[in-house]
Amino acid sequence: MSTQASPLDKPLKLEDLLQRNIWDVDEDPHIEIPMDDQEGLRKRALVHLCPAGCYTMIGDKVLFSYEGCFECGLCRVITPEDKIRWEYPKSGKGIQYRFT
Amino acid sequence: MDGVPGKFDVVVVGAGPAGSAAAYLLAKAGFKVLILERGRGAGSKELFGGKVYAPPLRDVWPGLDKEAPIHRWVTRERISFVRGSRVATIEYSLGRRVGFTTYLPELAKWMSDKAVEAGAVLVDEVRVDEIVVRDGRIVGVRSGPDTVEADVVVDAEGVNRLLLERLGLVERLNPSYVALGVKEVLNVGKGTIEERFALPKGEGLAWMVAGDVTAGIPGGGFIYTMKDTIAIGLVLHIGKAMEKAEAGQINKHVSRILEEFRLHPYFKQFWKDADVMEYGAHMTIEGGLRMVPKRLYAPGLVIVGDAAGLLLNTGYTVRGVDFAVASGRIAAEAIIEAFNRGGPTEENLRLYEERLKESFVWRELVRHRWIGRGMEDECYFTSMPGVLIRILEKLYEADYEEPTLIDALLESLAEEDISLTKLIMKLGSVVSKL
Repeated sequence: MSTQASPLDKPLKLEDLLQRNIWDVDEDPHIEIPMDDQEGLRKRALVHLCPAGCYTMIGDKVLFSYEGCFECGLCRVITPEDKIRWEYPKSGKGIQYRFT
Repeated sequence: MDGVPGKFDVVVVGAGPAGSAAAYLLAKAGFKVLILERGRGAGSKELFGGKVYAPPLRDVWPGLDKEAPIHRWVTRERISFVRGSRVATIEYSLGRRVGFTTYLPELAKWMSDKAVEAGAVLVDEVRVDEIVVRDGRIVGVRSGPDTVEADVVVDAEGVNRLLLERLGLVERLNPSYVALGVKEVLNVGKGTIEERFALPKGEGLAWMVAGDVTAGIPGGGFIYTMKDTIAIGLVLHIGKAMEKAEAGQINKHVSRILEEFRLHPYFKQFWKDADVMEYGAHMTIEGGLRMVPKRLYAPGLVIVGDAAGLLLNTGYTVRGVDFAVASGRIAAEAIIEAFNRGGPTEENLRLYEERLKESFVWRELVRHRWIGRGMEDECYFTSMPGVLIRILEKLYEADYEEPTLIDALLESLAEEDISLTKLIMKLGSVVSKL
């Protein structure tokens, strides 16, 4: 019998991990960061530590997309108050945990 | 909040363990209780490690053992120290059943169902935007354009204290007081857990992991056996992780650090061929007491659970759900007593804080108050496990001549760049605080 290499034997990409989850995405973003003046944003920390990978670098700007957010609050904690608007999603939207 | 009658005795914000415990006991005592939950049904925003201490839950729900969604009673505890592929493990086989594993969304749903059965009204998909203050006292909560009035608001909003911050009762969260929990749930197939972990039928395992699985960030790993799945994850100190990431010392995404733990050559054998069912994260409290608000009550308000900073992570045990439930119970009892004394005035609600501070929750937090600062010390997380593994490596992996124990210790310390004096001081400071 030969054993076949499974994709699970290698680190799964974040996109593949996120595919395991269920979201009901809100129409409006519940989190916003400024695109113009990003002074004071901890970009490297946001990019590496946001567990859902919502923060990505485009050139020297950090871009936020709210769709796959876990609503954990990490970005809020490491960002100056005046550089982030942070709410929970409305109307039961957002991440729908099942087995956690 | 259409269709919700305008005035309640108590409004509980958040249908987590703390909120549902308080709501259940208050409803049972005849209070008109409304629970507002931002998620779709109770539990849909809940994520934790995997284990719950049962005794404080039985105080609220005596039928817990028979009725609750218990996956496995934990009868084995393991602690492992890791450096690279090398692992040293201590296993303890318990003499009795104290804690069980479960999915928190399931358990929270059960708890809120209990509150509803007792007569509480649960309205989900409602995000509370503000705790409403009028003439110096809290009179209700607001969600969008709707306001619900209540004699008492129980704040069980969880670790992200948006409402308490807006009220000015707590400061913004300090990154050093919190940790990020990232978790994967692995589907190993029905009926295989016992064989994989050599467990008696129906029994479970809780496993803490210290060492370089966290890629140098203070924190640790965990493994819990569920009914037919395994929960694995990492708890990472946010303040330190932030500093390291900003200094360019973390060059991979946090999910990759977790994936490397899943694929660790020693640990991966336990979940061979298992697929990842879910991946998630939640913030948790790092250090006992530092996150507790200066006051746990105000006129018309009590604060319970994670919002009150009531969680203890000693490194070998994590007490969150049971502390939350206990604080919910104590809050309910104090509110009942306050009404008997004439109403939920500031003076009467002070009972909650007094009783909480006489309870096991507070004694535990005080007893282990040094833990928070210890959590920031990388020495305990990386260097100490490193020293232990290096000693064992020298003793067990010698080709011809093995060193004496003292030589192995001294060489290992030198390799981890720790002096003997520092080791003695570090160990001494742990022992003196235990």
